[in-house]
Amino acid sequence: MRALCWEGVGRLAVRDVPEPTIRSGGDIIVRVRASSVCGSDLHLINGYLPAMREGDILGHEFMGEVVETGPDVQRIKVGDRVVVGSVVACGGCWYCRTEQYSLCDNSNPQPVFTEKLWGHSPAGILGYSHAAGGYSGSHAEYIRVPFGDVGAFTVPAGVPDDSVVFASDAMPTGWMAADFCGLKGGEVVAVWGAGGVGQMAARSAQILGAERVIVIDRLPERLATAAQRLGVETINYAETDVLEALRELTAGRGPDACIEAVGMESHDVGPTYTYDRAKQTARLQTDRPTSVRQAIMACRKGGTVSIVGVYGGLVDKFPLGAAMNKALVLRMGQMHAQRYIPMLLDRIAIGEIDPGYLATHPMSLEQGARGYEIFQKKEEGCLRTVLHPQAA
Amino acid sequence: MSSSNATRWALAGAATVTVLGVGRVLARRRRRHQPDRVDGWYVVHRGITVDRPVDAVIGFWTDRERLDRGLAEWATLEQLGDNRWRCVASDPAGGGTEWRAEITVDGPGRLSWRVTDGPVAQQGRVELAPAPQDRGTEIRAELRWRSGPVRRALGLAGGGDPDIALRSGLRRIKSLIETGQVLDTRHDPSGRSPKQEQATDRVREKLMAGGRP
Ligand SMILES: NC(=O)c1ccc[n+]([C@@H]2O[C@H](COP(=O)([O-])OP(=O)(O)OC[C@H]3O[C@@H](n4cnc5c(N)ncnc54)[C@H](O)[C@@H]3O)[C@@H](O)[C@H]2O)c1
Ligand SMILES: [Zn+2]
Ligand SMILES: [Zn+2]
Repeated sequence: MRALCWEGVGRLAVRDVPEPTIRSGGDIIVRVRASSVCGSDLHLINGYLPAMREGDILGHEFMGEVVETGPDVQRIKVGDRVVVGSVVACGGCWYCRTEQYSLCDNSNPQPVFTEKLWGHSPAGILGYSHAAGGYSGSHAEYIRVPFGDVGAFTVPAGVPDDSVVFASDAMPTGWMAADFCGLKGGEVVAVWGAGGVGQMAARSAQILGAERVIVIDRLPERLATAAQRLGVETINYAETDVLEALRELTAGRGPDACIEAVGMESHDVGPTYTYDRAKQTARLQTDRPTSVRQAIMACRKGGTVSIVGVYGGLVDKFPLGAAMNKALVLRMGQMHAQRYIPMLLDRIAIGEIDPGYLATHPMSLEQGARGYEIFQKKEEGCLRTVLHPQAA
Repeated sequence: MSSSNATRWALAGAATVTVLGVGRVLARRRRRHQPDRVDGWYVVHRGITVDRPVDAVIGFWTDRERLDRGLAEWATLEQLGDNRWRCVASDPAGGGTEWRAEITVDGPGRLSWRVTDGPVAQQGRVELAPAPQDRGTEIRAELRWRSGPVRRALGLAGGGDPDIALRSGLRRIKSLIETGQVLDTRHDPSGRSPKQEQATDRVREKLMAGGRP
């Protein structure tokens, strides 16, 4: 079959690879119909999260049709049209039982790397390097999904592939970011990053009761889309002093909750950015935490900072003093896909959330490398490139 | 403990030994610190928490069919007598390693074993205790082994590490009890040549051996 493979830092190519087969009783094989790019892939492609091997198949945000099921699979049937959570979860450990699926004990068969790096190994993630289990990804004609009964969900008829695909990753991540904020109604929420994840976080915060949502980015098209689609306020950090603007917009208080949906390749204007890039390049720090610093500084006293942008290792100049003395609540994590997907599918079905507008660039698998380039450079107003492995 | 419980429990021990035997074959990671030595034995203690009540952890192994299926990829298990077991581990590189072990039930939730015939002189104990806060069962294991001329003669000196095998083994047991399977991504498709795939498999082995959740 054809698959989009990583060939080295910054290099992708379509290669012929063997088709996946059922390996464990709970496996299912999905014929991939739509497979999206995600900001997380950029960290892998660019070599900021190590443990990629040449030939690894990328992709973790996808949907398709079930073509084969293992002997232990009961809920999912051949022929089902399903969306699959990017995080692999067993359904049988304590973390899964308490719906903390991205912390699953049994879904990373290669736990040594993260155990050394972080003390414990969290869940495996499909198409996400050998640190996250070494699973083949979804930018391929077929993919093996372990624990199919836990990770795959049949999707409502009538919802297009290119919309429901985001229930796999961007939507549950955005939802969890807003969920972390513990909103009771009437809050002001600021969101860093107007990518797919930030946009879904903004929409989720609205649904969960935020009165005002303010989205921060430097890309005018993304900010315009957020304003138009979601009715949020926006700040362009390349033109405006974000901390001043947020204080102003909240009459001095600062946002009640700050969501960080940018991640380790955070961009900035000014000398600190040059400092961060230099240190990151020299591997003295692995991650550039610009937006996390800003979120902590901006947040009101006693507020919540919710981090869903991905970080891998160490950061520098972390404003711990601000977080401590302002008594902030810090929440963060990889999202618990399986906990939120069924609820999100219901909300898509009734039209409460319509993530379809994120799919700005539908493409064939063969165009994958170009699709990532457009996404990475944020050209042509690209929010997400969605690959269609079954298309010629 | 009733005698049927005892039989079941011995089966659990046999499975433990089996899994450890296989773990030994798979483990290839060097250790930095030598473990403690007591009376000429190397001794390590390792534990893992399984999200099932003690009875269920024991009961899981009752079903011989399920057990054999769970172990199929690594080993076959055969009961030779009351407390004597034989297992043949399938080495991923081909061939097999054979073990014979004596397993003694020491009390409710407690057993010990002794390898009577195998590549490494080894004995161990397993104890089950309820974990606090509804967290299931703590499996606590002690493993003792000797690194003697036999071991060196078999070329095992710098290779397999029983401690890493124990940790990997406990992880596999937990996964089998909690999910009925143990995941492996070694045969997932990739765009690698067979040679690159072999190199990647060696990386995978390192990332698997000795890991705990
Ligand atoms: N926690 C999870 O489970 C999870 C799941 C999916 C994605 N993610 C992570 O979420 C992050 C965003 O993903 P995405 O797909 O939306 O990525 P994306 O690349 O499409 O969007 C990131 C956005 O952040 C903006 N940005 C960069 N620096 C900024 C700054 N200093 N302040 C404000 N905005 C800034 C960029 O201009 C861009 O629009 C990534 O780090 C990704 O890895 C996390
Ligand atoms: Zn993602
Ligand atoms: Zn689990």
